[in-house]
Amino acid sequence: MEEIVNVEAVSRSFALDNRPSSHPAHSFVSALTHASLRVNAGEFLAIAGPSGSGKTTLLNLIGCIDQPTTGRILVDGVDTSQLKPAGMSKLRREKLGFVFQTFNLIPVFTAAENVEYPLLIQGINAVERRRRVAEALESVGLTARANQRPDLLSGGERQRVAVARAIVHRPSLVLADEPTANLDTHNATQLIDLMHGLNQRIGLTFIFSTHDARLLEHTERIVRLTDGEVISDTTQGGLRG
Amino acid sequence: MAKFLLLAFRNIFRNRRRTLMTLFMVGGGVAGLLLSGGYFAFMTHGLREDTINSGLGHLQIFTADHFNRDEVRVLDTGIDNWRQVAASVKTGSHVRGIAPRIDFYGMVSNGIKAAGFMGAAVDPEAEKSLGFVSRIETGRDLDIKPGGEVEALIGKELAKSMNVGVGDGLTVLAMTSDGALNGVDVEIVGIINSGAPERDARYLRITLPAAQRLLQSDRVTNLVVGLDATQNTDQAYLEMLPRLNGISQHLTLKKWIDLATYYKQVNTMFNGIFLFMGVIVFFMVLMSSVNTLLMSMFERTREIGTMLAMGTPRAWIIALFMVEATLLGLVGAVVGVIAGNLLGALLNSSGLHLPPPPGYNVPMPFKVRFVPVEMIGSSLLVIFSLAIASIVPAVRASRLKIAEALSHV
Repeated sequence: MEEIVNVEAVSRSFALDNRPSSHPAHSFVSALTHASLRVNAGEFLAIAGPSGSGKTTLLNLIGCIDQPTTGRILVDGVDTSQLKPAGMSKLRREKLGFVFQTFNLIPVFTAAENVEYPLLIQGINAVERRRRVAEALESVGLTARANQRPDLLSGGERQRVAVARAIVHRPSLVLADEPTANLDTHNATQLIDLMHGLNQRIGLTFIFSTHDARLLEHTERIVRLTDGEVISDTTQGGLRG
Repeated sequence: MAKFLLLAFRNIFRNRRRTLMTLFMVGGGVAGLLLSGGYFAFMTHGLREDTINSGLGHLQIFTADHFNRDEVRVLDTGIDNWRQVAASVKTGSHVRGIAPRIDFYGMVSNGIKAAGFMGAAVDPEAEKSLGFVSRIETGRDLDIKPGGEVEALIGKELAKSMNVGVGDGLTVLAMTSDGALNGVDVEIVGIINSGAPERDARYLRITLPAAQRLLQSDRVTNLVVGLDATQNTDQAYLEMLPRLNGISQHLTLKKWIDLATYYKQVNTMFNGIFLFMGVIVFFMVLMSSVNTLLMSMFERTREIGTMLAMGTPRAWIIALFMVEATLLGLVGAVVGVIAGNLLGALLNSSGLHLPPPPGYNVPMPFKVRFVPVEMIGSSLLVIFSLAIASIVPAVRASRLKIAEALSHV
């Protein structure tokens, strides 16, 4: 099966203060230590672990919105450590979709306009944009709410709009950071079903961080992190790698 | 592009109170500039037309010598064949009429006391036909009497100094063109109040034939040309030049602006004040807008982080902030132009007057003119100011670290 993500011995540390790294008193905190991970196309993968375990850091690194201190990451065959900022931006724009814990919709745009945004920055023409937005909104069951602004949508609806926004440009991979953390059980279940359905129906690869047991139940593969280290990588069938 | 502009436009109205404050400031700046600029324009326009209609005319014809050397004797550098010159330019386009003039000086006496004067000799009919206003406070304008009697208008302060009024007589003494002293008795038919007391303390006006008899010369100092409208001055000037080349005497043609020294000084002063006010408004808008736009940027940190995470080019973020600021400036400018025009109209209908300026004794009407160039200029100034103000927040927004921006609370 085609490999979408290859994380090779990646570490990420952060400076604790503003002193230069050469300064003797300079101290670092390690958010991720020698993490390795391979993800194939069509997988529905969860990164689980307690708060501060490095889940978001790992997702940020795979999503090219942060860079590793050591190691390298390949996304869809592209070595992201070799990319300049504009190249990373292009990769995110074309190959990746993002779903955030707090939805992060543009408040002055309607649901449809939010979904349209990734197509807009890709320079896709208006007719094609309209068609794909309608398709994406239909796939998340929000056609009737297309012209509502985010403040008039429920939390569950907002997160579905975010999912539609993440898939509308047909990315290779969708990264979701704690997508159900701000949702009640009903909406969380709906969202899990939606994401899982998209994974099953169109083979879209999902990597998401969570500590939501409801979400983990639907997941074929779970990578567990503790204190920045991968401590297990399990599939429905048992341990992996 | 349309969606991008839509996003920028909607962002302007996210925080209505802050936007209103900015619009109030930007609009206030524009309105202030329009009112002050409009007042200056009213003043300079009034001064321009007043200067032209009080006798300067739109064009004046002199001999070339008039500006090259001082006169040894009176009318030494005057125009000889002035009737021929007048006839040759009278048929030019936009020309309304020609008025011959003699500038001379001498002494006036009431038999007890004498005083110096600066005199002007005019053709009353020609002056009237050009609409030149004499500002006669009491009495009437000059008339050419066939019997040889000489009428005179004198300045209010000179009349006071000589203790004379309308109907009284004075003796006017001047040097003739041959260098002899000549005198003529005049009857005062009117008192002039030009508004400038210093001028009125030395001013005397008689008719052209009387002055020519007094000065023993058929020459005139200059010919004043009146046009149908001030804006046609340049065109009439260019058309008139070739006509003067056909005259045997070497003549020179001057536009009113070249002769209106006081007008130019006032205009320069007003332009300087207006420029200074423009600079103040520019920096006022700039400083307060930087703060407002930075606040807006901080409030939207997570949103900008999201946009960057989705792959929005950093240049787009810069453009978004700059377009937002420019749109804000545009809306503010429209508000300011509307407010400025409304306030201006209100002021114009109020009938307010300001105290007379130094050297004058007539109150100035407090009115404004609506000048399209000032509206456009003031609007562009604040739009430009806001665009400049947006650079710092725009660049800071574009340089946000995405991971940090996404976790911004």
